[in-house]
Parts: sequence; structure tokens; C-alpha cells
Amino acid sequence: MLHPDYRHTRYVLHWGYNLTNAGGNKLCWITYPRQWLEAKANGARAVVIDPRLHGVGPHTDDWLPVRPGSDLALALALCHEVISQGAIDVEYLTRYTNAPFLVGENGRFVRAEGKELVWDTATGAAAPFDQPGVRPALEGSFVVGGARVRPAFQVLKEHLSRYSAEWAADICGVPATAIRRLAADLVENARIGATTVVDGVAVPYRPVAIHTYHMAQQELGFQTVRAMLILMMLLGAVGAVGGQQIDFTWTIHANFAKWDTIQVKDPPYNVWLESSKYFPLNSNNSAVVAMVLQDPQRWGVETLPEVMIVHMTNPVLAFGSQKDIIDGFKRIPFIAVIDAWLSKTADLLADVVLPAATLEKYEGPSSAGDLYLDAVAVRLPIMEPLGESRGEIDIYLDLCEKLGLLFGTDGYLARINQALNLKDAYRLPLDRRPAVRDIFDRWARSQGLDEGIAYFERNGVWVKGKVPPTSRYGYVTSPPFGGVRHRLYGESLLRLREEMRAKGADEVFWRDYTPLPEWRPPTMERSPAQYDLYLVTFKLIEFKQARGTQLPLVAELAPRQRLWMNPATAQARGIREGDEVWVESHNAVTGETKRIKVRVTLTQAIRPDTVGLPHHYGETARHPWTVGQGAAAAELLFTGPGYVANTADQSFHTKVRVFKA
Amino acid sequence: MPRYAMTIDLSRCMGCRACMEACKVENATPEAHFWMYVFRFEEGEYPNTRLSYLPRPCQHCDNAPCVKVCPVGARYKREDGFVLTDFQRCIGCRYCEVACPYGVNYFHWKEPRKAQYVDWGQDQGTRQRAAGQSPPWRKPEHEQRHGSERRLTVGAVHVKGVMGKCTFCVQRVEKGLEPACVANCPVRVFEFGDLDDPESPVSRRLKQSPHFRLLEEVGTQPRVFYLNGAPPSAETRQFYPVKGGKGA
Repeated sequence: MLHPDYRHTRYVLHWGYNLTNAGGNKLCWITYPRQWLEAKANGARAVVIDPRLHGVGPHTDDWLPVRPGSDLALALALCHEVISQGAIDVEYLTRYTNAPFLVGENGRFVRAEGKELVWDTATGAAAPFDQPGVRPALEGSFVVGGARVRPAFQVLKEHLSRYSAEWAADICGVPATAIRRLAADLVENARIGATTVVDGVAVPYRPVAIHTYHMAQQELGFQTVRAMLILMMLLGAVGAVGGQQIDFTWTIHANFAKWDTIQVKDPPYNVWLESSKYFPLNSNNSAVVAMVLQDPQRWGVETLPEVMIVHMTNPVLAFGSQKDIIDGFKRIPFIAVIDAWLSKTADLLADVVLPAATLEKYEGPSSAGDLYLDAVAVRLPIMEPLGESRGEIDIYLDLCEKLGLLFGTDGYLARINQALNLKDAYRLPLDRRPAVRDIFDRWARSQGLDEGIAYFERNGVWVKGKVPPTSRYGYVTSPPFGGVRHRLYGESLLRLREEMRAKGADEVFWRDYTPLPEWRPPTMERSPAQYDLYLVTFKLIEFKQARGTQLPLVAELAPRQRLWMNPATAQARGIREGDEVWVESHNAVTGETKRIKVRVTLTQAIRPDTVGLPHHYGETARHPWTVGQGAAAAELLFTGPGYVANTADQSFHTKVRVFKA
Repeated sequence: MPRYAMTIDLSRCMGCRACMEACKVENATPEAHFWMYVFRFEEGEYPNTRLSYLPRPCQHCDNAPCVKVCPVGARYKREDGFVLTDFQRCIGCRYCEVACPYGVNYFHWKEPRKAQYVDWGQDQGTRQRAAGQSPPWRKPEHEQRHGSERRLTVGAVHVKGVMGKCTFCVQRVEKGLEPACVANCPVRVFEFGDLDDPESPVSRRLKQSPHFRLLEEVGTQPRVFYLNGAPPSAETRQFYPVKGGKGA
């Protein structure tokens, strides 16, 4: 998730992100809106980049209604424009990224004794990148060992030269003047070269940032997010005051080494196609798993799962292609669903349902921080679990006990000791089953709270203290940015591409593994002309994900599925507010079509070539409140080539046609 | 005697409608009754579309048409400003509903237990779990005489055949709490307090920000002030209205 340093920012792009509805894997929808309103009160401005203008609309300054699936083109054009204006943060790029690393004609870095080389302008020769006193060039063309080499930034600059605002305008449906104005605003607000003092620490000040989440979930999503980050890197805004944050800290992710050394292996693969020639970078998409289960041989998969536990989620509604999810998961011999309701997934697929409590349990610990304050919360039970439901921790303790996995030095309890980092004095004994409250009590004491869990029972939230600037801003962490160079140029992607090709993978899998983001039209554009509208999907604020439309109080606020449509588009098809229509999607690779019937609601807040469907609906008919609510967006979506990213990440885009029922 | 009022900051509202639900949970209003309602508006044509939101509680008018037309004096205006409904006097003639230009009045068409989202009567599981408890539409703390007038009011006391509307959560304010919508809003759109206290949140907000009242021209003298926005115009269109119940 890319998010701004809201407290100090001045210019934000809400890119495919609905601040008032959305969450994120970092902060919930309550915190971000408050932070944004404070920023706005301090004079900050925001632009929405989205085919649809949504909840945050009243609180932003401009709307760029970008064509669905074309965000990569827009991001590339913004990079082009920023470089054209000469507005790049030379110091950041030179010191903290691989922008100065020399790239050979084969696209690989030039190395000597395993170290990447740069062109030292002081000596007029190549030198290791970390040589003391080196002054690397960002631009130019040089000869090293008889071969032509260029700094990665030069490669990027030449690569971007064709991605002008005019080029992007046709593709994105955003006028070239608007793209150039946006670039100019970014440059002006970025204040390259400025520093400011936060809590006594001097830090580069670049108050521009992108707020985005799930932008990767489109066919070109991976390279789109890379292009957005490259834009922020050019401006030096990453890890700066007011600028681009990626996470809450700048410590190196525990999986970094593993991901950096992914090998493309020979089959057989597991059902996620991990380390495969199809998706070496792999985001573990359950729809892809469902696709594999339907034809494991085709994907080189031999070992198939026999048991699946679905934990507090509703894949049949939530995970993209509904048809594939059902057809695929049906083949798993035994499925248990842990949930608080008889969801559609449970209803269709479960052999056993283990009822789960919702608020009547201990759960956590969860971060309650907001980037500026470090805080922790624990869910506390408000009452005894209803009916036969139980907290999931109790369910898993039961399962492990019955499986003989609970006790002993490598049992579940031992793993809890490790995962919760329990201090010696508070470790769980490995020979008896604890009460769930006791586990939390031991955790709280291990954290230094003498009262144990009673602290949370009294106070709710434990505010640990302010986050110092030296944690928040990558420039001033120790070492800066955790000691790694940011990758303007993705050499590892080239390596993976070559390995995938060597293993005989089809072009459709390796074509987007490029060291720099490259534009191509999304596969969905190949659908026949009568599929003339884009379908986008989104969340409604009334519901949370895929398990809420049976809740009567909120269902009353939005009781029916609706297709959001531009009035001009509707009129051209003889469609009026409330009319029932067919929506038919088309898979440009397989030719498959899918259809649902739904009623239309008209809005001027959506592109004329785009229709929108909320998620959430399509739940089981067993609950009185969900009867007749309408179809699921997932019924129209596809998975597999053309409808997943190069990382297996699910795309929620497809071309559709809409006509009166 | 305080002079209560509410401010609503339109530059903060996100249209989330959580206030509609907070009100409903506090006051146990039946299906399709929304004592707090939030309009979602659109203006203009693509791509120059403008969105806005307008929360609309009862306006607790100083010159309340509903009080004037009530034939039995069930609808009454308190000294501190609250406009409330005595459910024992109300005969359900619905004149207040006709008279109110803001559309805040709701008639109780049904027995509460038949209009409360779950079938409280028939479902055995629900009966078991609710056994011995007061049903949500009869909260004991709401079934009291309020204020110096010592009068009853419809709060979470719902009776078939009478009128209901926003009470500014009189049962909460009397305990020193804020109305449920005010307390619940995630971005602090609302303030509630005494206009005669210059340090109250409402007084301070009114001094800081430009404000208007709805339908100022009809002379109702509302106690609800809207900050940092503009009233809906002829061009304003409603988007995603809530009709209530299982909907259409």
C-alpha cells in the first residue's frame, strides 16, 4: 500500500483509492479520512484518478477520470513529463537508488567482483557503486571493457521518451493538458532540494504522495504500481517529510532475501504455482488455485490438497471468478468453513461448518498506530459467544488437541510461545491447554505490562508513544532506508524473464517481466467491439467485504445490487433509472461469456464508457434479508491469462455489453 | 437554562451514513424510520460532476410548524430547545408530518416487534436468546419523564399508531452525553451544545465558519446550523436514496 505522510503533505493523488470507503493493510477507513481532513485544513490539495468519482469527491480538488486498465500509461507519461521538466531529485537517485548503476546492452548491470559499477564523473572511469568519494553519473553513454553501457537512469529516460502526455491522452482518456498540469503541480509541490525539521531532526521535505491500494489488481497492475513508485522516486518523495510512505517502518522485510532469490523451478509445482515458470513472483491468488484444481496436469501440478479450511472469508463472492472458484474448490475432498454466518461459500462447499464468534472473543494484538503514534489494541469479549459459536483461537486449540499437535516441544503451544515472543517467565506450559485469556495475559506481561491483559480490559488501547522521525522517514533511519538501494531498475525481473523463457513458458507469462514498466494494451481490449463498456468493481461503505449483506441494519441502507451507469450511456441504449438490464462479460482469451441481470442506477460520477458493480451482493438465499438482493460482481469476472497480472494477482476488470432485459 | 443547538460541518462529512445507524441503534427505530438521514447529492454533468452530502436530523425549530398543528399538544417545544413527542398523548393524526417542511416525521404503522428487522415473535432461537430482556424498542432508560416539563417522549419507546422523530437524544443529553450521531461520527462532523455559552463547541464553530440553515425563508428558525457549505439548489440531484426496509 502506498500512502502519504498526511500530517505534512501538500499534494496527494488518490489513485484508484476511495479514501472515505477504503481501508488498507495499514490503517482503517476512520484514520485516513481524519488525517486527510487535517491536511486539507492545512491547505493540502488532492486529485482523484479513477474511472469513478466516489466518496472522497467533495473533499478533493480535481477528478481525472482515467480509462480502466490504463493507469500504467498515465504513470509513465507523468514520469516522462517530470523528467522533461528537469525536475528530478539527483541526490536521492544517486545515493539511495540503483539509478546510477551501469547497464550493459544485455540489460544486466555491469559488475566487477560481484559489485555493481557506476561511472565516476570525478575520475572519468567506472568504479564500484560504494567506493568512497565516488561521484556517479546519472546520464550519458560510456564504454566499459569495450562494451557500451549506460546508467540505469539514462536507460529509463530513453525508455520513457515515447511515453509523452499526448501519447497517453488517447490511451487514458485524460487530456494531455491535464496530464501536463498534473505533472507541473507535482513538481511544484515536491520542492526538490528542500529540507524541514520535524521534532528536531532535519529531513528532506517533498510533500507529494500517492495514496493507492489494490491498484496492483489489474492485468498490468504490478508494473503500474512500479511506475507510480518510479514517479515518486524521480521526485525524491519516497520516505521524505510529507511524501510517499510504503510501510510504517523502513526495516527490511523478513521475506526480502527470499523474494530476491526466487528461482524458476521445473515442475511439479504446488497448487499456487509457487516458483513456477508461470508466476515466479506470486501473490497467492485463490482464483488461480481454483483454476489449477480444474486441470492440474496442464499446470504441472501433481500433489493436490485434500483438506481446506476457509477461515472467516467468502471466496465464492470475493475472490474474482465465481465460476472457477466453485468448480475448482468443489474438487477438494474435504472443506471446513470457520465463519459467523452460513455464507454462500459455506453453503455451497463446506462439509463441516465451525461457527465462529465475532465480537465475543479475545483477538489480536492489532496495531492501533496511525504512523505518528505507536499503539496496540486487543479485541475484548463483550459477552459469552452466542449459540454454539466459539472464538477461533479455541477452535484451533480444539483441532490441534484432537490431532495430537497441541502439546510438546514442537506443538501448537510451543509455536504460540514463539509467535508471540513470550518471555521465559510467561511462556505457556507445553503440557496443558490454556484459556484464551491466559494466552493474552502472558503476551501482555511479556510486553512489560505488569497488569497483564487487565491493562487492556481497563484501557482498551495501549498507546506506546510517539513514532520518532528517525523511524518514519527513510532518509533519516539508521542506516537510511534500511541500507538497501531502491530499485528504479528491476534487474531481477529480467533474470526471471530469461529463466521463464528458458523453461519454455508461453510469452503470455513472461511478457510483463521487464526491468522497466512497458505499456501494452490490456488483453481485455481484444474483446469484440460489441463489448464496448468496461466493468469496474468497488466496495460500498455500508458493507465490509463479502460477508455483510445479511446484516439487516446496514442492508437496509443499500438493499439491492445496482449497476452504476452514466446517464448518456444509458440513454443511448434506451435504459432509464431502475431498469433491469443484462450485463454480459467476455473473456478475450477463451471467448467465454458470462451474464447477470441487474437493475441500473444512473450517475454522472462515472465515465461514459464504464459501468460499475459493487461487491458484497450475491449472498446465499437462506437468509431472509439476502433474498432477491441481486447478483455478485464475481459472477462476471474471469481468472487466468489475460485476467491476472504477471504476479498471479487477480484482475477485477473485464469488457462487457449492457442491454435492456 | 441552556439553549441547545447542533452544528453540522459539511466540509467534513463523508456521506458514510454511520450517523443514521448510530441513531438507529441508540433509539431502536423501526425499519424505514431514519430520524437522522444523510442525503447524497450530485450536481453537474460528467466530467464536471460535483458530489456533496447533507445530514438532516430534526431541526428542533424555534418556530416549529409541527408544534403549532398538533391538535392534542403531544408535540411540544421545551425551554431548552428540544422539540419532542409525548407518546401517551399522540393520536397519530400525522398533522406534524404534513406540516414539517423537512420531512423528519415517521408514523409507526406497525407493532414494533413486526418492524424491527428480526422476527422477534416467531423465531425460537431469537426468543431464547432474548428471554428475560427488555425488547430493543422499549429501553427502560427511555421510558421516563424528561426535563422540567416532566413529560414523556418517544425515544426507544415505540408504540404503534404514534409519531416518531429525532429527539436530539434527550435521554443522553440529560446524562451529560452527546447525541449518538455526534458521538459516533468518525470525522467529527457534528457538534452539540449551548448557544448561550460562548465557549461551547457550537458557539465556537459558529464564530469560526460561515453557516446557513435549511429553508431559512419559511421562518421555522431551526436549531441546526450547517457550516462550510451551501443549501441544495434546483440542480441538486439525490443519489443512492435510502427507502428503508428490504427496499426495491
